[in-house]
Parts: sequence; C-alpha cells; structure tokens
Amino acid sequence: MTTSDEILLSIEGLTVSYGAVEAVRGIDLTVKRGEIVTLLGANGAGKSSTLNALVGLAPRKARRMLFDGTDLLALPPETIVRRGMTLVPEGRRVFSSLTVDENLMLGGAKHAARGNPAAVKTNMLELFPILAERLHQKAGSLSGGEQQMLAIARALMSSPDLLLLDEPSLGLAPQVVDRIFDLIGNLRDRGLTILLVEQNVVQSLEIADRGYVLANGRVELQGSAADLRASPEIQDAYLGA
Amino acid sequence: MSMDIFLQQLLNALSLGGTYALLALGLAVVFSIIGLINFAHGELMTVTGYAICFALIWGLPFPLAVIAGLVVAIAAALLMERIAFRPVRGASGTTLLLTSFAVSAILRVLFQNIISARPIPVSIPSSMSGVVTIGPLHLGMIQLISIVVTLVMLLGLNLFLHRTMAGRAMRAASEDFAVLRLMGIRANFVVATAFAISGLLAGVAGLLWVAQRGSVDPLMGALPVLKAFIAAIIGGLGSLSGAVAGGFLLGFIEVILQAYLPDSLLPYRDAFAILLVIAVLLFRPQGLLARKTLVKL
Amino acid sequence: MKKNKLLLISGAFALLASVPAMAEDLVIGLATAQTGGLAPYDQPNLAGLQMKIDEINAAGGIAGKFPIKTIIKDTRSDSAQTALVAQELVDAGAQLIITPCDADPSIAAGMITQGAGIPAISFCATTPTLPLAVGDFMFSNYPADNVQAAMLAAHAIESGYKTAYILTSPDSAYTLKLPQYFGEAFTAKGGTVLGEGTFSMGQQDFSAEVTKIAAMDPKPDVIMTSAYEPDFPAFVRQLRGAGVMTPILGSDGIDSPTTFGLGDLVEGVVFSTAGHATAGSPLEAFNAKWTEKTGAAPDTIYIANGYDLGNIIEAAVTAADSVDPAAIRDGIANLENLQGVTGPITYKGTIGMPLRSVSLVRIKAGDRELVAQGQPDPADIPAP
Repeated sequence: MTTSDEILLSIEGLTVSYGAVEAVRGIDLTVKRGEIVTLLGANGAGKSSTLNALVGLAPRKARRMLFDGTDLLALPPETIVRRGMTLVPEGRRVFSSLTVDENLMLGGAKHAARGNPAAVKTNMLELFPILAERLHQKAGSLSGGEQQMLAIARALMSSPDLLLLDEPSLGLAPQVVDRIFDLIGNLRDRGLTILLVEQNVVQSLEIADRGYVLANGRVELQGSAADLRASPEIQDAYLGA
Repeated sequence: MSMDIFLQQLLNALSLGGTYALLALGLAVVFSIIGLINFAHGELMTVTGYAICFALIWGLPFPLAVIAGLVVAIAAALLMERIAFRPVRGASGTTLLLTSFAVSAILRVLFQNIISARPIPVSIPSSMSGVVTIGPLHLGMIQLISIVVTLVMLLGLNLFLHRTMAGRAMRAASEDFAVLRLMGIRANFVVATAFAISGLLAGVAGLLWVAQRGSVDPLMGALPVLKAFIAAIIGGLGSLSGAVAGGFLLGFIEVILQAYLPDSLLPYRDAFAILLVIAVLLFRPQGLLARKTLVKL
Repeated sequence: MKKNKLLLISGAFALLASVPAMAEDLVIGLATAQTGGLAPYDQPNLAGLQMKIDEINAAGGIAGKFPIKTIIKDTRSDSAQTALVAQELVDAGAQLIITPCDADPSIAAGMITQGAGIPAISFCATTPTLPLAVGDFMFSNYPADNVQAAMLAAHAIESGYKTAYILTSPDSAYTLKLPQYFGEAFTAKGGTVLGEGTFSMGQQDFSAEVTKIAAMDPKPDVIMTSAYEPDFPAFVRQLRGAGVMTPILGSDGIDSPTTFGLGDLVEGVVFSTAGHATAGSPLEAFNAKWTEKTGAAPDTIYIANGYDLGNIIEAAVTAADSVDPAAIRDGIANLENLQGVTGPITYKGTIGMPLRSVSLVRIKAGDRELVAQGQPDPADIPAP
C-alpha cells in the first residue's frame, strides 16, 4: 500500500442537477494517488451522479474540479478518459452485440493512434484469463460476473491513473463479489488509484483507505476507513450493530 | 413459362428491394446512433443528382461525375450534421424530427428557387440502357447495376462495421453511446462517421434513382425517403440488418402484388402493400429484427 | 377605398375637363404555384402571361383603356392553400382569377370564385370535368384530355394499329383518364384494348408491369400512357430493357427536355402537345420574339400557352368592354376562333374547356417531327 500525499483528484462544490432535481448539492472530495476511496450512502444519495459528473456524463457545476493538474469542467467525457480517468458504469454496460475482443479493443481506442492496443490487451488477458477463453463470444452471452470482469478490463484498456467503479458487486453471487473485491485490491497493489461506489459497506470499508458517506447529495461523514467503520452512524445504518 | 415469369419477378423484387435497402440503411445508420429519423435523407439524393448533372454539363466523363456526386453527397450529409443537427443533438425525438423536416423543406425551396422548379435532364450514357439476357430472364442494365451495387455496398459496410475501429465504434454507439465515449472515442467523430456513411448510401441510391428517371427535380427525394422510412420501420428502427431485411421485404411485397394482384384490384396495390406492412408490425410490433437500443448521450 | 375616392375626384376633374374616357384597372389575381409539384408548370405559364400583360400595359391597357394590375400569390402546390389564396384575391378585389395547372387546386379555388361570381381560368388543367365540377365561372386554358385522346386514337388507327395496351395511374385524373379516353376512342374506331396496367406515380419501378407486358401473347400493336416525369423515362427504360420494342404513344406531359434527352430509348415515340411551331406559324414568331427578349429559346409549350391566356383575357375584356366580372365571364364563354399563338381557340359551345388545336409530334433523332395538327372531329371526342 503505497499511498503518497500527491493529490490526484480534487473537487470543490460539485453540484449535479437534472432539470429541477438536484442530485448532488455541493460536495468536496479529494483522492490521493495510490488510494482506494469509497463513496457510501443510501440509494439516491448522489453517489452515481457524482461519478458520472466526474467523467462528464452528467450535467455538472463546481468551483473547482482538478484531475492531475487539469481542469475537468470544460472537457467532454472522451477527453477526460484520454487524460487518464475512466469509469466502469453501474450495471456493467458492456457492448453486448460485440465480441469480448471487440469490447476490449474499443476500450483501448486511445492507444490506436500511437501505441499498441494489442500489447495492452495481452496484459489484460493475463489478468483476466476467463476473458481469454471467451474472447470471440458475444459479450451479451457472458455471465454477470464475467461481464463485470469485462467492463473492468475494458476500462483498464485505456491505462487509466484513476479508475471510478460504480457498484461493481451489484447483482452478483457472493463468491463472485469476493473475487471482484480481490481484484480491486490487486489493482491498487499495481499502483492504480480507485474511487469506489458501493452498497456493500462492509467489504468496501475493509479494502478502502478512506471514505465519504453521502446523504441527500451532501457529504455527511468522511474519514479514514477505520474511523468510519467505528463511527456510530455507520454502525447503526449499515453494520446493524 | 410461368416459372420463368416468376423468376423474372423475383429478380425484379431483388433489384427494387436492393434500392430500398440502401435507402433504409441510410436512415437506420443515423437513427441507431443519435435517434434521429432524417427526413432530409431524400434531399441528399437530390443533391447527388444535381451534382452529377452539373458535373456532366461541365464536361466531366460519366464515371468522374458519379464520383463527384458521391463526394458531394457525403459533404452535404456532413454539413447537414454540423449546421442543423449538432446544435439539437440529445434533444427530444420530436425536436430532432421537426429539425429534419425543416432541413428538408428549406432545401427543396432552395433547389426550386436557386436551380429550377422544373426537372433538369441528366444524360445517362446509353451503355446504361442495355439489356442483359440470362437464359429466359431479361435484366435491364440499371437493374443489374442496382443489384450488384447493393451487394457491394452491403458487403463493404459489413466489413467496415466489423473490421475497423470506426466501424466497431459505430456498432457500440448504437448500443450505448455514453459508454462509447468512456472508451475515449469522440462523440462528434462517431456521429460524423454515421452521417458520412448515410450520405454515401444516399448518394448511391440517388445515382440509381436518377439513372432510372434521367432527370433531377427539386422534389424527387420525397418518395424514396418515405419508402426508406417504411422499410426501416418494418425492419425495426435502429437495426441495420433489420433495415436491409425491411428494404428487401418491401420491394418483394410491391413487386409480387403488382405481378399477381387481379387487374381489378391493381389500382389498390399501394393500399395492399401498406396493409401487409401493418400485418408484419402486428406480429412483430418492434419490427423484424428489432434490438433494444439505448439512445442517449 | 382610398383609390376609389381618388378616382372619383380625378373623375370629377375629368368631367370638368370634358374628357370622355377614364382609365379603369383590370385586377387579375394569380393563385399560382411558385413552389411544390405544380411549380414546373405554373412558372412557365406565368412567364408567358406576364409577357403578354407587359405588352398590353405598354399599349395603354386592353383596348387602350383597361390597364392590367396583377396580384400574385404562391399556392405551394397545395389545394387548401389554393382555396385560401383564392379567398384573399377575391377580398383584394380581383375581377378575374387564374388558378394552377391542375384540376384539384383549381376546383378548390373554383368553389370560392364561383360563389363570388368571379371568372377563374386554370393555367393548363386538362381534366374535362373541371368546369362541370365547379360551375359556369370556371374555365381552363388547354386542350382537354379527351381531345388529346381522340387525336391520338385517330393517329393509332391511321397507323394500322389494331390492338393497344394502356398504362394508367389512379394517382391523378390525367394519368388515369386520358389513356382511358384513348381506349374509348380507339375502340369506337374499331381497335381493341388488350389490357390496362397500372403504376404508382413517382415510384419509378415498372419491372413487374414490364414483365407482364413482355409475357403478353398476343403482343399489343401499341402502348399508350400518360405517364410523365419521372415515370415515363423509367417506364421506357425498363420496357426497352426487357426487350419490348412495341411503339409508344404518350400525351403532352412528356413534352419536356428530359424526354428528348433520353436518346434512342424514345426514338419513334409519338405524343400529343398543345403546339408545334411550323415554318411561318404564329408560334414560330412567338418563339422568336421570346428568344429575342429573354436570350433563350422557350423550352416548353407552357410559355406560349401562358401568352395565349393573355390573348384570351384581352379578347374577352375587349368584347365585354368592361371589367365587370360577369361581363368578362360572358366574354370568355363567347370567344370563337380566337387566333392564339398556339392556334385557334374556341370557348363558344363548349362547357368551359376550349376547343384548341392539338399537335401530334414524333421524336426523331432527338428532334420533333410533326405528325398531325388540328382539332379532332367533335363526334370522335369521348364524353367527359
């Protein structure tokens, strides 16, 4: 666990509104290089909206939104991804009529101009041997767990510095969930920084360095994972103590 | 003898259906990406016709004039996207539809007022009016060209969609445009590619259309775009293979009805054709090869 | 209103000065298609009419005392819009109204003008039932479908054709009825119609129909159709493409540059038209005048046809010696043997559709060859 003090992502006063509905109401957030930071909260607390806003897929306003020194506010999603931050969206959203191989190649589109997507793909297939077996199958024919692996692998194809994960364990069987969390830890050990949105509070706080708890679009609580685990609010609301 | 006639009619259906397939495909390519039914697609055909016409008047040989026509069609489609559709991208389906009606109406009035309200002859080389005889079957040169060109276009498009990064991106965009952008692929690039392909398809269909009629007039795009719309609906809007299937089915329905309806019912052929289309939709309300498409940005 | 007052005042001065005549305007309202499907027909007609009006006004008005004022409004080739425009023109004080080159919008406009008691003339509607559908204030300005059909049938019999096939489209009165009138007239003269095929206008696909014609046994001696652009070129191309070389008769709709651009495909096609410029004819003189004025030779008979509409108006108002709408109507209805640039024009004794000269033209090496010219025997014209 090589957490440095270098701040990779720094957000101040982020708001997200869909018409008259304010999903996120002015949150501040930082992620340091090498960290796993988790966003917790009930359904509708604004977690997914925050992630979507970070990559430019949700309408957003903020006082400041810096990633690795770049102002994100004016950038469209495709540029943000090319700068090194990407999102694995909720519900996996693999391109189901395309093959696993095609999904991966699209994920590596950034390398197509210069660089070598095939080499990145070889690495990825070592990390996800199951995808190597399924390479020429339609992504829609994979199981839920395999699709989640593919969604993560596809995002990693762009060689990001910061990976945003939106509910990666949603709808998966318990053993599969364990494998996903193992994978997240593994990725962090390889130097990747991760911002994780999860409903699975216990496992998230086990793996994360720090966390934020959102409620009604605001940050209600934040701190180190250990502090949060011990906090009465978390104990009451999620850990059933 | 009557078997020969049946085979001949099948060939006729193949030729007509091919043209409809190209047209429907042009609509579906754009619809599958941004949810727009571009009713100005017909005007892209008209633009192609004028471009070929003026290139010939200017003295270009026919093959060069055709290339000029196709280039102009692609350029016009890209301009249409840039000027009219990009500003309303992501707006509601109704807004997009009305925008495309407006583009179509404006172009027609411009053609009438700037070029001519009356048809302008296009001299099609006499080599394109010949007959090819295969056993008992006769095939007009333009019919043969339509069949061959349709097959080449379908094959080419299929290769493009499956073998190139841009093609894969288009297929992915028709499923989930937002996530495609998360691959770092520029939305404008994908939309522009879709319009360029749609322009090329309109150009090829426009060439075949003009070759049959020997003239260009400002309103000539109206009927083909209607046929394309019906074919695309039969196939399932947004599905490319559905558009092709819908085009061939519509061509088949029209030719077979024309061939085998009793004389007294022939004046109602189009009504019967539409009835059959409705019947298809009753059994498959989403169209023949419908696919769930996510259209959002 | 203001103008009327002004006229009254100037009239008073005129009386004082004891000048007998006083200029009175003839207001013509033009409900014409400047856009849409009828524009190709209305625009050349309008250009020809405008030329005649300019000449009349340069000479001080009709009979030197009725200068023409025009109000021109676009109908967008839409029948409902045509009715609306007709109402606006009536309200604006038009004493004569010109309607588009098609029966449907002309009927729509006629419903307004007939009620207002204002004569209306269609530029070039050919449907003989048009005046019957509207009433005694409705006229057209073109040889009617049944007149053209009678000329074509007479030619078919003279050419020795015994059997015919007609190709119709139910999409318009012209494409449906003219071939059927031809069939009637042809049968009446001893010919046989072997069959009737149909097509959808604008569809451009005749392959199924052509396959049926190719398989006919016995084959017809001649095929008659009133299909025009874009259908006619597509039909001929596909018919000849299927190896069917049967002669073709067409009607005035194909008198266009596109037809003559089809080369070998249309070699030998005979069609009816409203005018053909023979040497020394008034039409030849008109064409020369037009060419001199505009710098380009007229590429359609509709220009001369529009000019002849001006001749009709001039003659009718002169005869009426008034710009009173009812008097103008009577003036038109009683015109007899008016010498227009396209030939003699007679309304007297007809029901709103003029008796006019029809020319039959054969396409020969991309040029016109006159086959026959004149008016058919009234007994040979099928009833509308």
